[in-house]
Amino acid sequence: MAQVIVVTSGKGGVGKTTTSAAFATGLAQRGKRTVVIDFDVGLRNLDLIMGVERRVVFDIVNVIQGEARLSQALIRDKRVDTLSILPASQTRDKDALTRDGVAQVIEELSADHDYILCDSPAGIEKGALLALYFADQAVVVTNPEVSSVRDSDRILGVLQSKSKRAEEKRDKVKEHLLVTRYDPERVARGEMLKLDDVQEILAIPLLGVVPESESVLKASNTGTPVILDSESNAGLAYKDAVGRFLGEDLPYRFLEPERKGGLFKRLFGGRAA
Amino acid sequence: MSSPALPESFRLRAGNFSLLVLRLLDPRPETVLPALGDQFRRAPGFLRFAPIVIGLQDLQAAPEEVDFRALVEGLHALEIVPIGTIGGSAALRQAAIAAGLPPLRAAGGKDPAEEDMPPPPAAASTEAPAPSPPAAGQPPDFRGAGRTAMLVTEPVRSGQRIYAQGADLVVTATVNAGAEVIADGNIHVYGRLSGRAVAGAADDAGARIFALNFDPELIAIAGYYAVREGLGDAPIGRAVQVRLEGEQMRFEPLG
Repeated sequence: MAQVIVVTSGKGGVGKTTTSAAFATGLAQRGKRTVVIDFDVGLRNLDLIMGVERRVVFDIVNVIQGEARLSQALIRDKRVDTLSILPASQTRDKDALTRDGVAQVIEELSADHDYILCDSPAGIEKGALLALYFADQAVVVTNPEVSSVRDSDRILGVLQSKSKRAEEKRDKVKEHLLVTRYDPERVARGEMLKLDDVQEILAIPLLGVVPESESVLKASNTGTPVILDSESNAGLAYKDAVGRFLGEDLPYRFLEPERKGGLFKRLFGGRAA
Repeated sequence: MSSPALPESFRLRAGNFSLLVLRLLDPRPETVLPALGDQFRRAPGFLRFAPIVIGLQDLQAAPEEVDFRALVEGLHALEIVPIGTIGGSAALRQAAIAAGLPPLRAAGGKDPAEEDMPPPPAAASTEAPAPSPPAAGQPPDFRGAGRTAMLVTEPVRSGQRIYAQGADLVVTATVNAGAEVIADGNIHVYGRLSGRAVAGAADDAGARIFALNFDPELIAIAGYYAVREGLGDAPIGRAVQVRLEGEQMRFEPLG
């Protein structure tokens, strides 16, 4: 049986799809048979970030509506052979997804995968609820910023009340906090929430901290999950997060401002605060 | 005191119940019953054998105009069980007693004998706490008697709402911004209180709010409320208890 992991946040634009792509790729690099599903029907993006947009023939809606077999819709990644992508439909809306249909897709995928990642759309409406409904674990993506933290708090409440595990009163969905777009210099200047503050409010275990990095935008634009960029701090942070997810004990990196900012700070830092 | 020699045959305990109130707007059973019947045919099974309280506060009628016996019979026929009345004039209540419907008192409300005029709705709305005078003529202080506490050990998250009905509420984690905790009794938060806390929701002006780290969006006791902006001189970020003194909210550091 595969583990179903939802990547969710409540708020949009915090890095759910980037995280889904990186995390799925990272798990697959470790030899785990992984499939990542785009639940953002109508605003499909995952295929772009994964660089498979030119290979999409069928999508999850076709499968649910019986117009295609699952094997026809799954796209196998060319870089990591244990990774596949199930794209969303761009021409439909979220009502095209049904709980029974999604249940069937997940059950079928479950047979020959270790991990099923569900890339949730933003919000707490139907698409997001379906993406988290079957989850065994949740990666809650949060920016160090008050509105993102509050929305993550909301989605954690939803996970504990509206997921299948909650409805069936089984063990609760296992939660992981992933703080993304963390900029240590702006944190030091008090322009962003400190990691401790985010952790105190959300009170769930920290899976990783991904620093703000230009390499993320570059990775998105070239359709290469950022975890494949071994030069990138963001990519390395995602690698660490995957390691921790698989039970490794790794120190947290990229939490302090980099040295090169030192001189600049010494020159101008005195005037702040 | 029961004699220890005899085996116990009963125990008398206080209990809090939440009941539906059927507020009469028309005194004539022949009008009310068919309308009720219609309503429940649409939702069969709903309210079946449910105990119900008949609300008289909206009724502008002389006692002889209301045939309580016919009403009770009709309700029984609809499989609804009336158990008493609430509100209304003393004369109306007398007429109801004659038909086997004793006057009830809403939790924290006044004794019906004291309220002769059609009273304002007794229970404070937890939706939108608004200032209301504290209940006069409170019975002797039995707070705590028969009241249990509801215990919450997980963080109360944004968008969640927890109501401890007829009870105290104890939260051993944080109450985050955007969350709401409500209790008919006291509220204890052994963490940071960043959301809303509404204590004494059933009009208990003696209820208090305790928080280890006091940083709320809104607090209310028995309908009196203060938003964060109005908490200028309250000891924010400290361990605090909040209580009502007359119409004033008092914030006192704890420990």
